[in-house]
Amino acid sequence: MSRPGFVLEVDERTPSLLVHQGEGFRLEKFPLGTRVIYPPDSLPGIRDLDAAIRHALLNPHGTPPLPELLRPDMRLTIVFDDISLPLPQMRPPDIRGRIIEHVLELAAAAGVDDVELLAANALHRRMTPAELKRAVGDRVFRAFFPKHLRNHDAEDPDGMTHLGLTRHGEDVEINKRAAESDLLVYVNITLTAMSGGPKSVAVGLGSYKSLKHHHNVHTLRHSTSFNDPPNSAMHHSYHRMAKVVEDHVKVFTIETTLNGDNFPEATKFLQKREWEWNLRDQASLLAFKKANEMTPLKLRREIWQRNDAPFGVTGIHAGDPKEVHPLTLANVHRQQLTEIDGQADIGVWGLPFLCPYNVNSIMNPILVMSLGLGYFFNLYRNKPIVRQGGVAIFYHPMQNDFHQIHHPSYIDFFEEVLTQTTDQQAIESKFEKQFAEDPWYTHLYRNSYAYHGVHPLYMWYWGAHAMEHLGDVIFVGADRKAAARMGFRSASTLADALEMAKDTVGGSPSITYQHTPPATLADVR
Amino acid sequence: MSTAPTPDWLLENGHVLITGATGFFGQALLERLLADHPTTRVTVLIRGRGATSAASRLAGLTRKPVFSALRKRIGTPGIEELLRTRVSVLDGDLTSPHLRLPDDLTAVLHCAGSVSFDPPIDEAFRINVTGVVNLYDAVSRLPVQPHVVHVSTAYVNGGRFGLVPEAPLEHDVDWRAELAAANAARDEVERESRRPEVLARLLSEGRAADGKAGPTWAAAAAERSRLELVDKRLVEAGRQRAKSLGWTDVYTFTKALAERVAEEYARTKGMRISVFRPTIVQSALHHPFPGWFESYKMLDPIILAYGRGILPFPPGVPDAPVDVIPIDFVVNAMLAVTANPVAPGETAYFHAGSGFRNPLSARDMDEHLRDYFGRHPMPDKDKGHITVPSFRFVGTGKLDGLLRHGERLVSAAERTVMRLPSSPRTRGWMTKVHTEKTRVEQLRKLSDLYSVYSAVETIYTDDRTLALHRSMPPEHAERFGFDTSVIDWTHYIREVHCPAITALQRQAGNRRPRAAGPKPLVPGEGIAAVFDLEGTIVKSNVIETYLWARLVDRERAQWPGELISLAGAMVGYAKTDRRSRSDFIREFMRRYAGASEAAMRRLVDERMGEALLLRAMPEAVRRIRAHRAAGHRTILITGTASLFLTPLAPLFDEIQASRLHVGADGVISGYLDTPPLVGEARAAWLRRYAGQHGLDLSRSYAYGDSYSDRPLLELVGNPTPVNPDPRLYRHAKKQHWHIEQWGANTHGALETLVETVNRVPGGVR
Repeated sequence: MSRPGFVLEVDERTPSLLVHQGEGFRLEKFPLGTRVIYPPDSLPGIRDLDAAIRHALLNPHGTPPLPELLRPDMRLTIVFDDISLPLPQMRPPDIRGRIIEHVLELAAAAGVDDVELLAANALHRRMTPAELKRAVGDRVFRAFFPKHLRNHDAEDPDGMTHLGLTRHGEDVEINKRAAESDLLVYVNITLTAMSGGPKSVAVGLGSYKSLKHHHNVHTLRHSTSFNDPPNSAMHHSYHRMAKVVEDHVKVFTIETTLNGDNFPEATKFLQKREWEWNLRDQASLLAFKKANEMTPLKLRREIWQRNDAPFGVTGIHAGDPKEVHPLTLANVHRQQLTEIDGQADIGVWGLPFLCPYNVNSIMNPILVMSLGLGYFFNLYRNKPIVRQGGVAIFYHPMQNDFHQIHHPSYIDFFEEVLTQTTDQQAIESKFEKQFAEDPWYTHLYRNSYAYHGVHPLYMWYWGAHAMEHLGDVIFVGADRKAAARMGFRSASTLADALEMAKDTVGGSPSITYQHTPPATLADVR
Repeated sequence: MSTAPTPDWLLENGHVLITGATGFFGQALLERLLADHPTTRVTVLIRGRGATSAASRLAGLTRKPVFSALRKRIGTPGIEELLRTRVSVLDGDLTSPHLRLPDDLTAVLHCAGSVSFDPPIDEAFRINVTGVVNLYDAVSRLPVQPHVVHVSTAYVNGGRFGLVPEAPLEHDVDWRAELAAANAARDEVERESRRPEVLARLLSEGRAADGKAGPTWAAAAAERSRLELVDKRLVEAGRQRAKSLGWTDVYTFTKALAERVAEEYARTKGMRISVFRPTIVQSALHHPFPGWFESYKMLDPIILAYGRGILPFPPGVPDAPVDVIPIDFVVNAMLAVTANPVAPGETAYFHAGSGFRNPLSARDMDEHLRDYFGRHPMPDKDKGHITVPSFRFVGTGKLDGLLRHGERLVSAAERTVMRLPSSPRTRGWMTKVHTEKTRVEQLRKLSDLYSVYSAVETIYTDDRTLALHRSMPPEHAERFGFDTSVIDWTHYIREVHCPAITALQRQAGNRRPRAAGPKPLVPGEGIAAVFDLEGTIVKSNVIETYLWARLVDRERAQWPGELISLAGAMVGYAKTDRRSRSDFIREFMRRYAGASEAAMRRLVDERMGEALLLRAMPEAVRRIRAHRAAGHRTILITGTASLFLTPLAPLFDEIQASRLHVGADGVISGYLDTPPLVGEARAAWLRRYAGQHGLDLSRSYAYGDSYSDRPLLELVGNPTPVNPDPRLYRHAKKQHWHIEQWGANTHGALETLVETVNRVPGGVR
């Protein structure tokens, strides 16, 4: 049995604690009294995955077993989560590929001929053939690529179907092939509580026209947090959309959850609690840290990106999305939830090298912002870790560096929009349409490997709740110019950052450090 | 000296002809006559210039600062009245032999002349000698001989040492022979410059300099340098002839010969001529207002250079007099000379200067300047003020040596930098060389100027001029005196002259012409935005593209062979490229011979397209899109084969690229369908295209990185060099074009190549 989550209060005997910082980390001495939230220990993974998959497919929740849903003359579409999940990438074989093989086996047995595989990449960049291969496995790739294994294309004028409006008047538009399928099998990985469930089909196969109803400043300000679906306006919208989808398409979902094994054996110390580091851990940590610091940035990026996670699978549930998802969430909570009493004046987060949008890519300043103020700030239930008007301190070098192929509209957004304003509402009203409908970005999204033109704006909205809630945001170790461009202050050390925070929260603030990765969902009481 | 018994000091009821009225002297004389000689009529000899008639040039004169005091006193209508009643304009040109002068002239003030120290020899003679001959021919035909005041310069005495009296020059140079030789010089030099060997050399230099822009440009450059060569030879001819006869430069040489002409006319035609020789004429002490000056003269550039800390040494030898005289003293002296005509057939000589009786030494000058600039330093844009360095006197020889050394260094540096490939670093070097070159050129000009005044041991006596002053009635001398011994140099230099000449610079110091910043795009129809591809939009070039195409397509075992073959051919390619861009493209494209077009297209779609986007400069893409948003027509002109451009195609309304010829079997033959568009061919294409589509090129935009894009850039109203090569950079700097430095967030060449060839079909890794 794994140990549950834990809140440490820093005292004299507490060693320096590990803080992630892009492609590297710091060992930081926190002020006495700082509370540190650790996730539960990594849960054991399922030993016999094939058996578990088979069991899930044959014993679904709320639907007949999968074989009973398959018939020879049907259109079957298998949709799977894209490159943004899981993080880091899963050490092959990928759980998606294993599940898809089982589904295809059953389909073949049932004589289903018309089978298509679709990556649910929404407005994300297309997955490259190599990435697709990695996700679905060699065999499936060879059999289906390129004709029957494709990326979803939200801008294909002939490839989308408008299913109707929700009761709130929100457009629901999804991939035409999926919409016209007799059965849609969705293969999911739920890494955090925000993913999966109603989000999978409605968002993963959606279009800008549809996504703009929940990916906006208003909704995100009222998603407190978006990792707590009952309190997330965004999820309320997902549910309304899922309802419309459900009325048109039969969805059989297979959701999986992963444990906290983010780091391979060699760097296992990165997810140990610091006071439990043995001599060997300490030595390898120091050696690794030194070598890492001496490595040039580009190479370092490459090395960290190659760091596949030896994730264990903690649960596989199949069937009706509405019935499956609560079980999935329970598994996520089992792995990530840690209770803590009360909010702090200051929250501290170390931002790692990876977010959902820079797999095999570069974490640009906007992605750093969305990882910090979006993803990490929202890793809470009930109340934010920081009190209203408190200060968030993030660690990240935030280099002014962009991937040209993947993030062309990000570069322009950074250079041309953020130089004018950082105000989310102003950006939404003035620039969203322009970025979303730009023919060049659309061309690159469809034909190259670029994120959709509107994506950087979504990343900017992602921090809407945090920006409204916080009194100040300070980045430790960040490129000053890049941070300033986005309206943030930068400090070289934690001590400087705390000094700067004094103006907002006074001289003796309470501090909470959310120790992640592996992901920790704080249940703030 | 034969003066009239009672000189008519106010030239009452006289009729005076002024030549060179638009010059410094002429303006001052005209103003003084109109302001203070109420009954004198004036005729000004002015040449109409272009669309501006002689009369309107005169009217323009009265709007100049020299008339500001008078204008204040009598108002604009008053001045118009003066012009109407007392001034006539004679539209004419001294270089023409058919001058007709009014019959009733009482005096001729001949101020016209070339003041440049080193004009081409024929020009110097045309203005300074032929002009005098023409004028005096016309004067000698008049029924009543007026008194001619012939303005010369004290420096006609050449390099003579010691005291120089107010007397005819001592030399036996035959002015007719010199004039004939000077007039013939141009023909000779022209003939020489057209010799086939010379033309061949010029053309090959033109090709080296402008060949990349195209053959007509190279030819134009060759012809430009031929004309420059002719001018240079004529200047050199003038300077050397002057020196060989004992004068410092062609200016003083021709002025000296002009005196001979005057003397001859006086002797043979019974003319009455007074030769008037001022020294260095500077701003006014009293009249029309203290500090009045027309333009930077003589010493001013040196003073300004001193104030701006450019001059490495204070001017001159410490004890040598800097013979300066304010313009109002000169005017007064000249009018006094005019009022005392010589007898027909005679010539009189007058010096106007200060060196004899009230010398201002170079050491004093240095002290005045140091004091003045110490108290009123010149502003240095954005950097506070300039301190005047404290130096020792070293003499001109040293300066000259230093300069020659500097010139050699700068031109060597420039040659080196020009050969380097374009990068931010070489552009930085180019800027430094450019600045240094400007500085050395400035110094060279100053040094040449200075050599004129380095006849340091010469002192011009002014007894006769002083005698004139003393003969004036006291009340007249009060207003019209010209005894330079009363000038308080401390006051004049520190309080009058320096403040006057630095005033403009002080203003200009804050708004120096700078390369224009990026102007916001003007939205509108009928505007083109033309882009070159390689180096402007993408950082890659044809060779890189070729490597992507060849290496991704082949087994690794074949790479060495391909790379070795390419490396072996590189020297040849480089040579061809230097000679002709289009030949290079033709030759290089042959490497694609034998490839299947369909396969190549697939390769571009699947793998190379990404490489091209990785090498694209985001700023360029942004700019293209901004042009689109502004409603402009975006055009890509490139020598690259169109096949490789598909990833960028959606950005452009029009793509003009090379097309690889594809045989019936779908195999690329290695030949092009049409000649590649490079250099001036691009400009020609754009001109035609603009005509067809009603585009206004003067409002259009063009972007390029190489000197070969110059014809294209110059064709439009908004040229923008992007990461320019050194040659284009130099040109852009001269033209004050805004230069863009693009390429942040762009992948490196090697990195892109490695990523492209390593990729599993289409994958990231």
